[in-house]
Amino acid sequence: MRLRRSSKLLVEPPSAATGDIAFNLIVFFLVCASIQPDSGRKQLLPKAEQTQQQEQQDNITVELKRAVVLLNGEPMKLTEVTPRVKAKLSGKTRPEDRVVVVKSADDVPYSTWVEVTTQIEDAGGIITLQLEEERQVELPQ
Amino acid sequence: MGDIAFNLLVFFVILARAQDDSHLQWTPAKADKVQPSGYSKLTVVIDKDEKVYLNGQPISEAQLAGAIENQLGKAPVGDRKVLLKSHKDATAIRFEPVIEAISQAGGELVHVLEDKKKK
Repeated sequence: MRLRRSSKLLVEPPSAATGDIAFNLIVFFLVCASIQPDSGRKQLLPKAEQTQQQEQQDNITVELKRAVVLLNGEPMKLTEVTPRVKAKLSGKTRPEDRVVVVKSADDVPYSTWVEVTTQIEDAGGIITLQLEEERQVELPQ
Repeated sequence: MGDIAFNLLVFFVILARAQDDSHLQWTPAKADKVQPSGYSKLTVVIDKDEKVYLNGQPISEAQLAGAIENQLGKAPVGDRKVLLKSHKDATAIRFEPVIEAISQAGGELVHVLEDKKKK
């Protein structure tokens, strides 16, 4: 006896369902796109008024330039930031004593800044930014 | 029915993109020990052209602190998270005033970074 092969597998879906299929596809891709959360690092920066008093004291200063990092004026390698800041902070327990003032040159890239400030925080320092103040100079006419 | 749902969905997606920052071009800096940054209603982006955006809308540095303060309102501590998405090569002259503005507005700063170990 010969059996006839059924051709039902090749039946196209009804055209009325196209919208539903498209809808489900979009929902699927939207869900896929939204389940990639950002990763990052929290950073505590004291408010400006809190830091003004602290900056008057002798704090550790880290200067960032494009090619060099200075700790209280002494050059150091990027890999040395954590141990050297940790050594400077040893014995200091009060938060106001653990303030590290970070001064950056205008052309320092964000990636370098993140690397250095991460190391300072790992060493137990509390970061304070020192921005250059803008000065308005009136020129005689 | 499906067509109506499809059109509604497209409409809301377009509406949502108005406050979205996915069209901005920036590359995150890499760092160790990054953690999931979680949800925040405020996102500041510094794109590859060093332009500043708050929730996808361009904004000047001078207006940033006020705008963040307005949007955070009287939100309690722990609910004042501000995500900073800065391009890895953005320079200090651009990103430091932004960080300062977030700090002044009482925002809890979270740098959005890429894990160094991730390939």
